[in-house]
Amino acid sequence: MSCCELGLFFKRFCFKLLRFAFKSSKKGEMAASNEINLNDCKMVVPLNTWVLISNFKLAYNILRRPDGTFNRHLAEFLDRRVPANANPVGGVFSFDFLIDRGTGLLSRVYRPATGEEPQLNIVDLEKPVTADVVPVIIFFHGGSFAHSSANSAIYDHLCRILVGNCKAVVVSVNYRRAPENRYPCAYDDGWTALKWVNSRSWLKSRKDSKVHIYLAGDSSGGNIVHHVALRAVESGIDVLGNILLNPMFGGQERTESEKRLDGKYFVTLRDRDWYWRAFLPEGTDRDHPACNPFGPNGRSLEGIKFPKSLVVVAGLDLIQDWQLAYVEGLKKAGQEVKLLYLEQATIGFYLLPNNDHFHVVMDEISKFVSSDC
Amino acid sequence: MVLYDSSTLAGSISGSSSSSSKPPPFPLQREQQQDIDGHLAGAGYKVRSSELRKVAQRLERLETAMVNSPADLSQLASDTIHYNPSDLASWVDSLLSEFALNPTCPYEFVTDPVTNRTVVNDSWTTTATNMPLVHQDVSYEEQSLNNKLPIVTAMEEDSGIRLVHMLMTCAECVQCGDFTLATSFLEDMQGLLTQINTVCGIGKVAGHFIDALSRRIFQGIGGGSIDGGSAFENEILYHHFYEACPYLKFAHFTANQAILEAFVGHECVHVVDFNLMHGLQWPALIQALALRPGGPPLLRLTGIGPPSPDGRDSLREIGLRLAELARSVNVRFAFRGVAASRLEDVKPWMLQVNPKESVAVNSIMQLHRLLGSGPNRNSPIETVLSWIRSLNPKIMTVVEQEANHNQPGFLDRFTEALHYYSTMFDSLEACSVQPDKALAEIYIQREITNVVSCEGSARVERHEPLAKWRTRLSGAGFRPLHLGSNAYKQASMLLTLFSAEGYSVEENDGCLTLGWHNRPLIAASAWQAVPDAPAEFPAPDTHRPS
Repeated sequence: MSCCELGLFFKRFCFKLLRFAFKSSKKGEMAASNEINLNDCKMVVPLNTWVLISNFKLAYNILRRPDGTFNRHLAEFLDRRVPANANPVGGVFSFDFLIDRGTGLLSRVYRPATGEEPQLNIVDLEKPVTADVVPVIIFFHGGSFAHSSANSAIYDHLCRILVGNCKAVVVSVNYRRAPENRYPCAYDDGWTALKWVNSRSWLKSRKDSKVHIYLAGDSSGGNIVHHVALRAVESGIDVLGNILLNPMFGGQERTESEKRLDGKYFVTLRDRDWYWRAFLPEGTDRDHPACNPFGPNGRSLEGIKFPKSLVVVAGLDLIQDWQLAYVEGLKKAGQEVKLLYLEQATIGFYLLPNNDHFHVVMDEISKFVSSDC
Repeated sequence: MVLYDSSTLAGSISGSSSSSSKPPPFPLQREQQQDIDGHLAGAGYKVRSSELRKVAQRLERLETAMVNSPADLSQLASDTIHYNPSDLASWVDSLLSEFALNPTCPYEFVTDPVTNRTVVNDSWTTTATNMPLVHQDVSYEEQSLNNKLPIVTAMEEDSGIRLVHMLMTCAECVQCGDFTLATSFLEDMQGLLTQINTVCGIGKVAGHFIDALSRRIFQGIGGGSIDGGSAFENEILYHHFYEACPYLKFAHFTANQAILEAFVGHECVHVVDFNLMHGLQWPALIQALALRPGGPPLLRLTGIGPPSPDGRDSLREIGLRLAELARSVNVRFAFRGVAASRLEDVKPWMLQVNPKESVAVNSIMQLHRLLGSGPNRNSPIETVLSWIRSLNPKIMTVVEQEANHNQPGFLDRFTEALHYYSTMFDSLEACSVQPDKALAEIYIQREITNVVSCEGSARVERHEPLAKWRTRLSGAGFRPLHLGSNAYKQASMLLTLFSAEGYSVEENDGCLTLGWHNRPLIAASAWQAVPDAPAEFPAPDTHRPS
């Protein structure tokens, strides 16, 4: 084992020990209190994760205005960003591509460095992929449709890890955000990106001269995955699989998990409501199919050739009932779906690679995209 | 040795090339660097592991306060000026002060469920801090100062892509000294140019690079009169570049904002402009000073510029115009011109700085010209930074091209420049006003030519990225003055007023950058001399003349 692997192993081992130790006391606390209890989320995430997510929570509270408008300038100022880097770092290089000039749609492309090309020499960004089968993951970042960008540090980091883990090319889409751009802008941008990826000759796998496309996303990105996949079905572009990490779904009804977990683990119902109001067309409610795809205004996917899905649900996410309902909806329609339910995970667990859930999920994703070889 | 991404840490040590065994006073000491939480650094936040708990407690304090009066505090926080969000501890503390909350809170004591002993209650799982400080071998830490190559590209036709390949190959031949092969590539490329669209995109900028390569091969690297064109010509081109795109407007605007803030409460102020040109930056500052609460200060402006040929005193002419303006808005104003062909020829006594006045030094794309080709201790940049510091300015505003065009290897420089100027040309497409656009292109073309075809003292366009300037300036005894969210917001709004979609302002560790489609092209920062700190010159530069 290398030094860093040893360290990682040690960390995971100690994390397991401490988690076990705290578990019994935690259960007692949860039963005892119904009001906003900051102690709960402190117990289940590492300190640095708590700091990161609480920082986001605080910033986001400041940015959302009660009248539904959004302090975009401050949001852009506070967001931590990183530039693309065509020089490989950690075996991955990236560059930004302007896919659509009209809407200013940028995507960041991440590719594994093959090690053949000498560093800092001829930069061949669009060199054809060489392996027999190369998964291309189109990634939609989270942020509840309003926050973050493809070049946000947290997402740049995550995409780089995906490349290494899955031996894939990752295309992270900088879709237009709410409230300035409501439904269906994000889906339109996702669709544009899908068409673009599908038509890149340099992304075609040698085996069958086709681009092997997977859609992945977290939070609002997960929601976008579903809707872009739906559009793909109707158009003949083959999507091999959907990966939804804590996908953002909802509905008019207040579910049990929403009531039980409201305010307990970084997220409140009030902020969820705000984001839906910012994204959905004005005058509609949360049973709009964008928000509630299998709800009263949704449609069944029975008989439709929908991609297989991997859905990751965090047990401490207040919207899990909607996510589980989504999985049920897929199952009922005879679609292939695997549910990964992580009991002790909160939102954002995948943002820092400092916990078990992170590694479990990365393994699953890797298996998911390699099973089509 | 662990190298940290400089965009997340101000002034990190530049790795193994440092021959000095004494740690620089300003960049973090090595132990402090290793104390930074590596995971949060990857997310763009600098927090010391030892401070994590404190930051967490303060976040909790803020949260509780927000829960109790969400509307008021939200509004307050929204209206307040935020600085350097990467420094999470300071950001949180500043919000706490804004809300007039005491940052320290009394500890609670509870019984630890594991050990059954009384401990401080902060209830976080202690995994992170109980871990031994494992070597954080995560990829973002491997990014060294010199190795970033940000590229934004767009759909190009096949011949456009072929042209780029050929350019790179030709440049490689030049680097290896194979001029015969390079020449044949030049011919092929000229041919290809006729087949592609040279009005925009890669076709347009490729033409300039082909020209620059030709020059290098056929005229040698002495440069000759590249940078010449008379000072008069340069000023005209500069003016049209100013009009055609927002880069200079952004530079002036951001610098003025910072200067204005630095001069608050000062009655005698003196601005030293390292490159007066037509004095385009100053009317706005004069007007802003006229309107400031409490009335304007006495403003002195010293403008440095090249000597004018044929007896004209162009500096003085500009000074007179500015004086007119100042008079019309009742600002007491005095101007002095300092004629010098090179910035390094200026001596501090020429500026006649009065010890009682507050000084602002303003450098818009001038410092890089001082970098010179040798690593010797007393290279122009060090001399100039040293005397700037001796003036003890209230503020030094620095705007530089955000590019790595001073790398020793020719091919690296060429690659970087090709992408940088493609992006800049692309942004120029948004401007439709002539002759601004055409002349702006010539202005940029001169830069390209200098970067590609000149060496030694002839190569003056030695652009370096913000990360490197941070190290250099910190090492020379300056500390950053952060540009805040108000400057950011105003810059963003200015952009929407004057320019097309596609431009973006970004905050980078207290500095602001302006870019096109998320690729930063120009960076603005502000600095202050650190009083009495020993001025450590940076370790000898690894750059060697090619």
